[in-house]
Amino acid sequence: MRRRVFIALGLRGAALLAAVPAHAQTKVVVGALRLTSSAPLFVGVDKGFFREFGLEPELVFFQAAAPIATALAAGQLDVGATGLTAALYNIALGGLPLWIVADKGREWPGYPLTGIVVQKQLWDGGLRSVRDLKGRRIGVTQLGSTFHFHLGNILEKDGLRLADVKVVPLQAMPAAVEALKGKQVDAILVPQPFPGVAEAQGFGKIIAWAGDLYPWQAAAIFYSKGFAADRAKAGAFMKGYVKAARYYFDAVLARRDGRLVPGANYEEVVAITAKYTEARPEIIRLGFPYQDRNGRLLVPDIERQMKWWVANGFMKSALPLARIVDTSFVEDAVKSLGD
Amino acid sequence: MAVERLTVIDRAAFLRRREHRAVRVAALLGLLALWELATRIGWVPALFLPSPLGVIGELAGMASSGQLFVHLAASLRRLFLGLAVGAGAGISAGVAVGFFSLAEAVGQPLIAATFPIPKIALLPLLILWLGIGEASKVTVIALGVFFPMAINTYTGVRQADPLLIRAAVSFGAGRADVIRKVVIPSALPMVFAGLRLAAGTALLLLVAAEMIGAESGIGFLVLQAGNLMETTKLMVGIAVLSLLGVASHWALSGLERLAIPWKHT
Amino acid sequence: MRVSIEKLSKVYRDRDGRQVIALEDVEFDVEAEEFVAVLGPSGCGKTTLLNIVAGLLPASSGQVTFEGERRPGTPLTATVFQEFALFPWRTARANVEFGLEELGLPGSERAARARRYLDMTGLAGFETRFPHQLSGGMRQRVGIARALAVEPAVLLMDEPFSALDAQTRALMMEELLAIWERTRQSVLYVTHNIQEAVYLADRVVVLSRRPGRVIEIEPIALGRPRTEAHQGDPAFIRAVDRIWGLIKAQARSALGEERG
Repeated sequence: MRRRVFIALGLRGAALLAAVPAHAQTKVVVGALRLTSSAPLFVGVDKGFFREFGLEPELVFFQAAAPIATALAAGQLDVGATGLTAALYNIALGGLPLWIVADKGREWPGYPLTGIVVQKQLWDGGLRSVRDLKGRRIGVTQLGSTFHFHLGNILEKDGLRLADVKVVPLQAMPAAVEALKGKQVDAILVPQPFPGVAEAQGFGKIIAWAGDLYPWQAAAIFYSKGFAADRAKAGAFMKGYVKAARYYFDAVLARRDGRLVPGANYEEVVAITAKYTEARPEIIRLGFPYQDRNGRLLVPDIERQMKWWVANGFMKSALPLARIVDTSFVEDAVKSLGD
Repeated sequence: MAVERLTVIDRAAFLRRREHRAVRVAALLGLLALWELATRIGWVPALFLPSPLGVIGELAGMASSGQLFVHLAASLRRLFLGLAVGAGAGISAGVAVGFFSLAEAVGQPLIAATFPIPKIALLPLLILWLGIGEASKVTVIALGVFFPMAINTYTGVRQADPLLIRAAVSFGAGRADVIRKVVIPSALPMVFAGLRLAAGTALLLLVAAEMIGAESGIGFLVLQAGNLMETTKLMVGIAVLSLLGVASHWALSGLERLAIPWKHT
Repeated sequence: MRVSIEKLSKVYRDRDGRQVIALEDVEFDVEAEEFVAVLGPSGCGKTTLLNIVAGLLPASSGQVTFEGERRPGTPLTATVFQEFALFPWRTARANVEFGLEELGLPGSERAARARRYLDMTGLAGFETRFPHQLSGGMRQRVGIARALAVEPAVLLMDEPFSALDAQTRALMMEELLAIWERTRQSVLYVTHNIQEAVYLADRVVVLSRRPGRVIEIEPIALGRPRTEAHQGDPAFIRAVDRIWGLIKAQARSALGEERG
């Protein structure tokens, strides 16, 4: 009698489990920032490219890049889609492996990603170049951020050093913008759409786009160790991402005869980006950041980054590339999707 | 009736508390040992919980490179300045409000209204007014110190024994001498109680202030290590802060014993 | 110096706003070098009287006048308090020097005077002790030394030995008499203890319950210097009986009132 009850209960339980909707098992938690550079991700989510390959992405937004790496390490995210920071490298160095797998944005000549924005007042007074930044207070999100990296490298190109400026960490991008508005800092490095907003609102002036001064592999897609181990899921995500990256590239990054030519889906991508970043379309139209059409990484640049962090005392030692970069997902996806 | 003969037994033995000094030390060491073990065998990833030996090693490294003292010096400078300004202003205000009825009428409601504001919440405002440099940091610490000092001094002054004041006047003391020779010494125990309170607040505000727009200091060290995910350095910062707290408590107790010998012998 | 208290009255309002007459038309003199005790039940205003003479409280009507020669640089009065009123943060010596500081004496003179009076009151060797390290009797000795050190014209004593146990009190009274024989100020001594008043004083002013009025001024016909033997003298016993008779009825009604 009792055994029959148990069997009945067991069957009921199994039926319940089977009745649970399938997408609860194929959820992917993705950490990102509300930036123009996340546009490929927004496109992929909005147009269902991930769903096509059996995944339901859940976007979780942060205020700076390094916390995304931390959340990934803590197991709260499967995928990170943001800037490559010293924190991310230190996490891997500290014994929590993660994998950089695809391109999500480069500082590239002619394509705006990060802008160096100075106080309008100071620009009027003649602060117009990187050389003029000497001795000034420069606001960034966090120490070890992509902005910190970029600042250090453009200073070195002009014969200056990080020590020649005063780096002010403000922890979040909106805080950096507020600090510029409130004149607590003389300049900030922030990504689109913030530079455009600062100029539009009249308190800032862009003296240069970062990519024009120093190109590098600034942002990437990275996987947690656990997520990467599930090759089926991780591979499916990459297929959706590469499809989205191509859609994005063709819509907004294509050039003919050296000039930017908006693709057929340009306005659609602008609208999607405006929706997620909550910035006005005119500001979005100022420009989109560059990334490889297939999402391929500039792998040697990653090694160069780590060496720079080590040289400046932000990392104790560099990691061998094979321990942190895995290009197999992108290659598999490109192969699978064809041309 | 039978005749009894009984000896008295100690019925209160169970009430007596023993110190168990050996157990205290053993417990602390045991916790550290367990912690070290946990990181060695990988229960917790070393990134999330650095090993105690690792932290000590990092601390030694930072001490020998001089980096530790740069940060410590910056923090101590801000702390002392803030304490000095805040305590000086607070004690003066407390004496004035406690002794002069006009000052009390003006000062007491003002202090009562502004005291509940968490001073940490004022930090962004102070940065707006005073900039991101040393001024805003020292000011926020001074504000956090001012209130417990003012309130405690005021209470100490009000509590001054009227008999002693009367005795002083009977021997010819005027207002200035009564304040200097009776009211202030009377208030010293309360003043030191206020200092102990204020020291804790000062440390808290120091760390908060150093996490915004600083280039040195233990708070900045903690921020930087956190930004860079260098958790061992982070733990060093936390350990140093805790040591600072303990040291300030000891220093204040010693100072109190010097300044108030009549209460401690 | 001589103190003249003329038609002294003190009225004040209590917590409920009612008028309370603490003293009514009190009138008597303290001659130079005379020891006068003021005696009365609790609440008769004797401490109020002392405070007025010390200049710590204003009178409502009447006045207090000091007459006679006074060495320059000495104050009119100095007070010894019932609860000692020593400054806990000052050593015995520093307490004694307090009044001397207020008089503006230079450091060396203060030290010399303090030493003299500390010796006189039997405190040699205890100068650097704090009050909390001293017994009750010792503390009051400091109080007495502190008051004597300023060499006042008139010494005011407000129940100085009430806070001490009986044995200490007896010894302190002997000491006080010995010291007073040497310094010979006018003394106004407040107490509620009849034996104490009769033993110490030349005259005893007996006050009534509130409102405080002078019932009688009893001269004490005992020789000086006073000794313990005087306490068995018939004149002593008679004086005590007489005064007790005067205030017994008052004390009884006070007791009844408090109970009811």
